[in-house]
Amino acid sequence: MFSKILIANRGEIALRILRAAKELGIRTVAVFSESDRTSLHTLLADEKFCIGPARAMDSYRNIANILTVAELTKADAIHPGYGFLAENARFAEICENAGVTFIGPPPSIIRLMGDKNRARQEMIRAKLPVIPGSDKILEEIGEAKAAAQKIGFPVIIKAAAGGGGKGMRICRTLQHLEEQFPIARNEAKSAFGDPSVYLEKYLSGAHHIEIQVVVDKKGTVIVFGERDCSVQRKYQKLVEESPSPFVDERLRKRMMGAVEDAVRAIGYQNVGTFEFLVDENKKFYFMEVNTRIQVEHPITESVYGINLVKTQIRAAAGEKVTFPFELQMRGHAIECRINAEDPTTFVPSPGRIDFLVLPGGEGIRVDSAAYGGWQIPPDYDSLIAKIIAYAPNRQLAIKKMQTALEMTTIVGVKTNIPLHLTILANSDFQSGAYTTQLMEKLLPPNGAPK
Amino acid sequence: MSAKIDFDEINRIIMLLEEKNLAQFELEVEGFKIKIARNAPASAAPILGPSSTPAPRPADPAPAAAAASESPKAADLQYVTSPMVGTFYRAPAPNAPAFVEVGDPVHKKQTLCIIEAMKLMNEIECDFDGIVKEILVENGKPVEYGQRLFSIVPQP
Repeated sequence: MFSKILIANRGEIALRILRAAKELGIRTVAVFSESDRTSLHTLLADEKFCIGPARAMDSYRNIANILTVAELTKADAIHPGYGFLAENARFAEICENAGVTFIGPPPSIIRLMGDKNRARQEMIRAKLPVIPGSDKILEEIGEAKAAAQKIGFPVIIKAAAGGGGKGMRICRTLQHLEEQFPIARNEAKSAFGDPSVYLEKYLSGAHHIEIQVVVDKKGTVIVFGERDCSVQRKYQKLVEESPSPFVDERLRKRMMGAVEDAVRAIGYQNVGTFEFLVDENKKFYFMEVNTRIQVEHPITESVYGINLVKTQIRAAAGEKVTFPFELQMRGHAIECRINAEDPTTFVPSPGRIDFLVLPGGEGIRVDSAAYGGWQIPPDYDSLIAKIIAYAPNRQLAIKKMQTALEMTTIVGVKTNIPLHLTILANSDFQSGAYTTQLMEKLLPPNGAPK
Repeated sequence: MSAKIDFDEINRIIMLLEEKNLAQFELEVEGFKIKIARNAPASAAPILGPSSTPAPRPADPAPAAAAASESPKAADLQYVTSPMVGTFYRAPAPNAPAFVEVGDPVHKKQTLCIIEAMKLMNEIECDFDGIVKEILVENGKPVEYGQRLFSIVPQP
């Protein structure tokens, strides 16, 4: 097992990793930017190092400074969390060359899955159903039009180097495609440094269902039951739940089986999430693999009664991953992402938290790095807390979450708690009959609820 | 990570600079860059010599005007901070004299120390003229981004 881990992240996920490491008896090194000097991960780690100014490119994405800290502190592993350097194959490679274990999949897997088009082709070979789409990168509009006509409108243009909902454009007609194609290429080039795009059939009114895996270095493959992340606004997840109200036992078994086969076929390692769209006929289509721990991992931990981050660290250290009980989904878990933002305009609302009361009690878990008096830096994402409610069934879990949100008090910054309460009270959400269109129905086109 | 250079090699380059009386040496190969600059030969001697008494401070601005209680005032001090994470070295080589000592006059662009990061030696320069008041880090110790390395009394 590792003796010291450097946590190359901030906020709630840095704390999540710090807790897991402490429980495993591993010392922790925090790295922080100048605007995170008083952030909790900085204050709670065994050792800490300032690695740069506020701008992420110069601090949390600064490979040279982070690796120098690893060297100076003799850390034997680096946990990248999510975001920042978590899916940077080059960083994983440099860690390997420097003799520091990167807690995540090998660089070759990160690189392959990071190229969304290549990942798609790889999954076709691994016999995982993919969304009908172009079978290669599209260089010019003629090719794109031919591909779109073969697939059938509406189509979605996706950046090969994209992912996480960035750089996507939906086209409903040929003319629309002609307009959007060059824009999408330019956008991909400026956002990811690579203009490569491809086309997929656009599935509206589908369900975003994802399957979590853990693979140790001895070849043990563990596949977990699904998370439903269909409550999204502009591809940003807001509420997640497990199990999905839409997925039945038969579909779950098929999806888990297909993922297990794909994992073995591509030689996947460490943690990962296979994301799918599932249509109304319960046909599932592969979208992408996230080669890291995800924001919404706690709901899987709740329904399985396990600790995914500890499991991930053990797997990276070469241990065989075992659990003292049979893995089984039990009960229902819901997560709400609490962002410091205006609930109607979605404009980020950084500032000082003057007063803070987070919810608690049986079945409530809060993953947060916020505290009363903390100045939320404006330089990073606006997630300030994840509230997770766990109960024996879905109805009770919704009620528990509503109660928790109503008892949460955050003074000083605006949060999206009112929006979460609207979602939870919505009849489609309550009945479980909702798709990725839910937020569009809930919000008028300009984004602000009436 | 193709090219590597160690202290001995850097030392040899520095000797070569002295020997040939060169002011600067720069080498760049794939993924690796090193730049070594030497002080103007004329001013080298007084700067490198560890003087026991502070060098004369001819430009001390109106000492009578400054309150006797504090000289220099904290506000008059400027700090040189580390632009990166790394290991702090006061001298170009283990047995070489330190770049600067307390009391030394320093000028703009003068090298004050080296920060080693990712096997690279990065020279840290002063960006104003002044006199070294304190050296705030011990030789060979790790430093953070933004950490204060020297306090310097600026000179006009």
